Amino acid sequence: MSGGHRNLAAGAVLLAVGIGYGLATALLPDRTLPDTPGPAFFPWLIAIGLIGLSAALTVRGLTAIRQRDGDVAGYRLPRRGWLALVGFAAYLLLLPYAGFVLASVPFCGGLVALYGERRPVIVLAAAILIPLMLFVVFSTGFQVLLPRGAWL
Amino acid sequence: MTGDLLQGLLQAIQPASLAATGVGCLLGIVAGMIPGMTISAAMIIVLPLTFVLDPNVSIGLFLGLYAGGMLGGSFSAILLNIPGTPSSAATALDGYPLVARGQAGRALGMAVSASFCGGLFSALCLFLIAPRLADLALQFRSADLFSLVFLGLTIICSFASRSWIKGLLSAVIGLAIVTVGQDPVMGTARFTFRDPNLLSGVHFLTALIGLFAIPQLIENLHGNSPGGAIGLGVPGRPGSPDSPGSPGGRNGTAPAAGAIELRKLLPAFADLRRIRLPVGIGSAVGTFLGILPGAGGPIAAFISYDYAKKATGRGDRFGQGAVEGVAAPEAANNAVTGGALIPMMTLGIPGDPVTAILIGALLAHGLAPGPLLFVERADFAYGLMFSFFWANVFNLLIALAGLRLLVKVVAAPRTLLMPAVAILCVVGAWSLRNSIFDVYVMFGFGLLGLAMKWLDMPVVPLLLALVLGRQLEENLRIALTGSQGDITMFFTSPFSALFLGLSVVSVVWSVVGARRQRAP
Repeated sequence: MSGGHRNLAAGAVLLAVGIGYGLATALLPDRTLPDTPGPAFFPWLIAIGLIGLSAALTVRGLTAIRQRDGDVAGYRLPRRGWLALVGFAAYLLLLPYAGFVLASVPFCGGLVALYGERRPVIVLAAAILIPLMLFVVFSTGFQVLLPRGAWL
Repeated sequence: MTGDLLQGLLQAIQPASLAATGVGCLLGIVAGMIPGMTISAAMIIVLPLTFVLDPNVSIGLFLGLYAGGMLGGSFSAILLNIPGTPSSAATALDGYPLVARGQAGRALGMAVSASFCGGLFSALCLFLIAPRLADLALQFRSADLFSLVFLGLTIICSFASRSWIKGLLSAVIGLAIVTVGQDPVMGTARFTFRDPNLLSGVHFLTALIGLFAIPQLIENLHGNSPGGAIGLGVPGRPGSPDSPGSPGGRNGTAPAAGAIELRKLLPAFADLRRIRLPVGIGSAVGTFLGILPGAGGPIAAFISYDYAKKATGRGDRFGQGAVEGVAAPEAANNAVTGGALIPMMTLGIPGDPVTAILIGALLAHGLAPGPLLFVERADFAYGLMFSFFWANVFNLLIALAGLRLLVKVVAAPRTLLMPAVAILCVVGAWSLRNSIFDVYVMFGFGLLGLAMKWLDMPVVPLLLALVLGRQLEENLRIALTGSQGDITMFFTSPFSALFLGLSVVSVVWSVVGARRQRAP
């Protein structure tokens, strides 16, 4: 996707967010003294800024597409990046139910492999030892109550 | 004041504080040396540790990390020609040619000595300027404070030079996020969607962990090889930055640390005499630019390098391995740290992302940086200054004593480091309030950070808006309430007018600077 298309897509999304934010601001209770700014005052300023700047970004995107400008290779998430993000999301969903150690072991093992480790023994050892070590350090050493899991 | 000063000194020399400062320096040097690991990311990693520590101890750890990170960045700049931090980019210009000539020890010794001098000079300025500035700041009213925070926000301009629209959008998104939760004046719930988790708003540190750490973790997945070691070498050797198949020297073979000459770390007397002027220039420029919001280490380092090149009369040797070219930027980037602490401590205005994290960490301990810190917790404020002094001393000692071992750390396998960092991010977000909601918010901010990267939108404006947004709204509304909606008081109050004038100067400076950069 070219720089122009990116700007257009982001501008359109942010414009929608800005309009939504403005609508939510309009619903805020307006309890305040006369001639003084209420709780909606600042959000209104932000909504105006957000809508104006998003519109400007959209226009810039459209202009770039028409002029075929900005066709430079931008940042692309690598395939392993997508895998890491999906793994991260699954880990966070599992965390409250499985607890810190049980949820962290497969996540850590997966990441070690994604970062390029191919030796199964190292992957397995890291997957078990890293979460276990962090659990001991934080729960015993620093008295942080890490998620224990729904099964406990 | 004397009592507070003594109390601060006692706090800073407690064994736990000293140990934390030393450990912070060590971690900072290591983090700074690892290309791709920023000081901000290192601070975020240790964040969960600090919640359970005493504030004096945790601030020592953070200050050690800050000062150590600046120094560590120069090591990889000198040895690998890859600046560990943006502030050490100028150091590589002469540091790496020295390594190529087989004088790695001399280059590193110069960097360590100059960093120490720059850090000490800025610590002295911190002691002399900060209490006086805090006294002055106590006279500020809401209108002045609004204009001051507005001045702080103009830092955004220096990060938005590539695209004003995207820089400003980033800041506006940050301000919108700040409005979630109870409003700061009347306590009205805004944009909470009746979720009690959102009543207290989005925790700044949760956002910070996600914004910085997750994109960093994904970034480190690029182009890694089995083993994932970060190469270290000298020109022409496997693993060196210029060797084939080793892009940037990050993914080469095992380090050739032993091959690098590190015997002569202690600088020769003749070299010390030669770097007097560059160190003086770097220290003064670094401290001054550190105080200015947004200027930061990279600018200070390059300006000092340029001044030193002109002032020493050996400009023709710069870029070919001149020790003055290592000393000036190194003194400058370490002096920036002390300079940046001045507005952070006295006005609550962060000069860079690292001081923004420091503010967040202090707030997590119930300590609000600003002029009142010198009234309500003057002992802590002085303790912080003494800890910063110790951080510079520890930097020197650790670097000189352990450099041979430290350079091997550059070869630490990312395959083990990065997964540990990912789990630490979760622990950090969880530890704030023992809430899974904060962990989800952290992940959400990580996705936002990646989206911003995809769009080439700067993250720092969003970060600054998260730090300063609440103060901006609070002071604006209180000032307008006091004047019954009359906005002229922002221009009639001398302090407010001064800050607004400086804001204009800051914006114009950024615009002119950006145009100069774009000019062919």
